[in-house]
Amino acid sequence: MVKALVVGSSIPEIREALGAVASVEEKVVLAYGKAAEDGSLEQLGVKVYKLKSTHPDHIVAAVEKIFNELKPEIIIGWITKNNRAALSYFAGKHDLPMPTDVTSLKIQADGLVYTRGFLSERATAKEKVPFPAVVLINQKAFKPVETSGQSEVIEITPEGEIVKLLEVKEKALSGINLEEAEIIVGVGRGFKKKEDLELAFNLAELLGAQVGASRPIAADYKWLPEDAWIGISGKRVSPKLYIAIGISGAPQHMAGVMNSKIIVAINKDKTAPIFKQADYGVVADLYQFLPVLINKLKERKK
Amino acid sequence: MGDIVVLVKPALNPDMVRSKPDGTVDIDAIPLKLDDIDANALFEAQKLKQVLGGKIAAILVLTWGPADKRAKDLRMVAQEALARGADEAHIVADDSIIPGDPVTTASAVIATIKKAGLNPDIILVAEASIDQTTGQIAGRIAGKLGLPFISFARKLEVKDGKIVAERDLEEHIEVLEAPLPAVVSVTQEINEPRPPTLIQIRRAAKKPQNYYKVADLEGVATPVKQGLEYKILTVSRKQTIIEGDTLEEIAEKLISLLEQEGVIKL
Repeated sequence: MVKALVVGSSIPEIREALGAVASVEEKVVLAYGKAAEDGSLEQLGVKVYKLKSTHPDHIVAAVEKIFNELKPEIIIGWITKNNRAALSYFAGKHDLPMPTDVTSLKIQADGLVYTRGFLSERATAKEKVPFPAVVLINQKAFKPVETSGQSEVIEITPEGEIVKLLEVKEKALSGINLEEAEIIVGVGRGFKKKEDLELAFNLAELLGAQVGASRPIAADYKWLPEDAWIGISGKRVSPKLYIAIGISGAPQHMAGVMNSKIIVAINKDKTAPIFKQADYGVVADLYQFLPVLINKLKERKK
Repeated sequence: MGDIVVLVKPALNPDMVRSKPDGTVDIDAIPLKLDDIDANALFEAQKLKQVLGGKIAAILVLTWGPADKRAKDLRMVAQEALARGADEAHIVADDSIIPGDPVTTASAVIATIKKAGLNPDIILVAEASIDQTTGQIAGRIAGKLGLPFISFARKLEVKDGKIVAERDLEEHIEVLEAPLPAVVSVTQEINEPRPPTLIQIRRAAKKPQNYYKVADLEGVATPVKQGLEYKILTVSRKQTIIEGDTLEEIAEKLISLLEQEGVIKL
């Protein structure tokens, strides 16, 4: 009988990971951080361990404790930073395999067959690992379970701290939800100064779009909040239309927009790699082209 | 004085993906390069060296084969790491651990640290690689060695035998403190690495590159991962460049194409 331990810091994460292991007979949950405070934990219908901490050292110790008691074949959760930090440490300690960014999963008697992104999302890898295994799944790759029923809830005391938390600093975030946006205007280094982003915002307003950015704009120059950052270390988006303006098309960025239905590239450099990865390309200086495009859209809207 | 170990991955270059006629990835035909964020880790190591003293040792584990065909790429990646500030390079190249498995790679790194007689205060690792993006080697090494682990560091400072780091999470930043030795994974935001100068490149040619086989090392784990199929993602884009005599004409064409695609409504 295969057993699974689901690890997560929010109810949607936990429900999706439970969905990924739906065929597994015995499932328990480790809910940490925000999830440990969530009343709906009581309604998951499985045994729940709760840990009121997000410290990876505490998560490692809690996983260790449950692992020793239950001996699960699968330890699974969303690919969040705390999960990645804590579970890679745990997997290393026990030399367990740990497939990450998993988009599909088949649980067999002797191990797991899964697919994951490969080569900055330009390819997929189908691989197999034996049990026990740690699995980190992509967000929204699996169907969440809607189970209900009374959960048995056991609280775990945080312990095992090695690294000391001195302070938590807030990030300046815009609060926009790029993952849900239908149209996204992406801005890159082709923009020479922050004020010029106004052009992109004007275009976005006319199209009912959100504005996202490549790494330099959001992370280095900080012209936009960090949650506007699209790419492999930022957000992965899947709009109907992605308009990349002044973006060259580095693989780290393109990995984040691969799932867009239509990609438009506006760039003055006709050799920019983005044109090979776009549906429609406009080779023009954004400073000349955007005002024209904006005017045309305004005319059409009248 | 403590050494600084920097993991350097000879990674498949995603910009040079090659496929076989059946749509699978022709892994052997994709050249290797020094992984992107490794350049940040090496640059940060140079800053830390000023405080810690010691030397910077780059450790490379070849995860893509066959080893004899990769020899030149591997030497170039090691040479670039040396030009980017490493004082010496330790390289594990052995077909018995290729294709790489994170379980194996982490154990090979630790075995190399021991074999080379390194005494690291800090082990710096990129948060993830560009080819596999598994982002787990740093955590694994910390877990196996039982060392403090700071992940996703975007700022580092060492003083009084301690490391203070800013850890970049989805919604906030944690300021953390850990005793040395420690394992740290760094993000691309930690610094802006400068390309090596000509002098650095010349000096790099004279720095030591030590090669190891698995038989030279102790405790290298056997790979457990089994590769079944590697397929090129065929998101075929239209790659249509919109032409026109004037920008107005191009703008009009673009708008009507997007309307036809049903992705905008005006």
